[in-house]
Amino acid sequence: MRRVAVLGVGVTKFGKHDRTSGELFAEAAVEALADAGIEPRQVQALYYGNVVGGETEKQLHTGPQAASILGIPGVPTTRIETACASSHAAFRHAVMEIGAGVSDVVLVGGGERVLNVTTEESTEYFAYASDATWEQTLGLTFPGVFALIARAHMTKYGTTEEQMAAVAVKNHHHGTLNPKAQFQKEITVEQVMRSPKVADPLKLYDCCPFSDGGAAVVLVSEDIARGRRRAIWVLSSAAASDFMLLGDKRDLSRVPATERAAAAAYRDAGCGPEDVDVVELHDCFTMAEIVATEGLGLFEAGTGGVAAEKGWTSLGGKVPVNPSGGLKAKGHPIGATGAAQVAEIVTQLRGEAGPRQVDGARTGLVHTLGGNTATVCVSLLGRE
Amino acid sequence: MKAVSEPVITLKNFFERAREGQLTGIRCTACGEIAIPPKEFCPACGKRAWAPVPLSGEGTIDSFTVIRVAPRSFAGDAPYAIAHVRLVEGPGLLGRVLDVPLDRLSVGLRVTFRPLIASEQTSVGFVPA
Repeated sequence: MRRVAVLGVGVTKFGKHDRTSGELFAEAAVEALADAGIEPRQVQALYYGNVVGGETEKQLHTGPQAASILGIPGVPTTRIETACASSHAAFRHAVMEIGAGVSDVVLVGGGERVLNVTTEESTEYFAYASDATWEQTLGLTFPGVFALIARAHMTKYGTTEEQMAAVAVKNHHHGTLNPKAQFQKEITVEQVMRSPKVADPLKLYDCCPFSDGGAAVVLVSEDIARGRRRAIWVLSSAAASDFMLLGDKRDLSRVPATERAAAAAYRDAGCGPEDVDVVELHDCFTMAEIVATEGLGLFEAGTGGVAAEKGWTSLGGKVPVNPSGGLKAKGHPIGATGAAQVAEIVTQLRGEAGPRQVDGARTGLVHTLGGNTATVCVSLLGRE
Repeated sequence: MKAVSEPVITLKNFFERAREGQLTGIRCTACGEIAIPPKEFCPACGKRAWAPVPLSGEGTIDSFTVIRVAPRSFAGDAPYAIAHVRLVEGPGLLGRVLDVPLDRLSVGLRVTFRPLIASEQTSVGFVPA
């Protein structure tokens, strides 16, 4: 496989927008192309993440739509849907296309719009990523999925609601340092604990928000990246799946797909969790961050809650996690999330993250989870 | 093309029997794995050698939640409990927990299957054993 580099990144502000998902992606892509110094006509393919366009915008075939709005209607486009991991899966396929020598310049990204519908509607549409026969018929929601995981983790390891709250407090703090984050205000453990219950034991402040937004990444071959000072290298990009049904999982306190994808990503990059300087991971709910830090090997199983409470995952801690504010504070426009996480790690490795910069970061990890933990993508990026 | 036998039990078969109060699993005659249908190959050993096996419907709550913000179609039901139940035969199954006050739910509570029937729709429910 040829080496692949990220040459440019772009992200819209996350939050409520009065533009379509295609327009939001296109805004991010203009920024990413300018950042890369790449002309639109040089782009040879687009891999695109969009999840609930069919529901919130009554729009399928969003790949060519996004390319048309951007103004590159001629390139082959592929929409990838792996629930919330969609644009990370898109990233992985673009890496493979360049690595295999098929293309030299590939655009990756995603766009999502959900704040044009009510919370009850979007809760229902997101639940379409759980099984229609076994799970949706019960009225299962995504907060419900992670509530089941949280209760299992609390039962097995004694993890507390206060430790979960520490994740939210930390990511909100990081969000105050990111001008593109949806939430830019500090919160306290007491505020999290007092917030209304959504799916016991998860409360409102344990949950990421619904968000509109777009993100884009320009990937290029080694030939094009050579001599480009701000190029960031893709060390590996891996994915794993697991049983679709939560019922089929043996141990709800773990996410085996995270463990398998991480093992493959570390192996392909020739490094381990001890080499990772900065992490953007999938904190759709506070417990999701705790379980992910364990599954990625950053902390031992059962100690992710302690790590958050002791500040080991804060900026300035042992392994800063979600310096962008994460999904919790930066926001979670689901189809765009993976590309936005890549954008943050690239910014960190370039040393351009300003007040939220992790000093001297050389190796970064991106982790994105889809659905009932049935899809996970893990990529490692590094500075030359 | 080589002819392939029909699946041992389809989703439709499973829920028709569930509606009558009977949970039906599938047992791998090669390795003994017991699973919830439908599955073609055994995820444990890779063989395609399932036989239907009646399940007792009895199990223990592994984890539970109370859904308070529900999807649009279930807004009228909230709050309601959903549990991950480990059946005595081994497989796990998600279901609604019925007939237990929400503040009396607990991990380790013994429950038994009861179909949740809403017009044409059958889904999985559990009541105290």
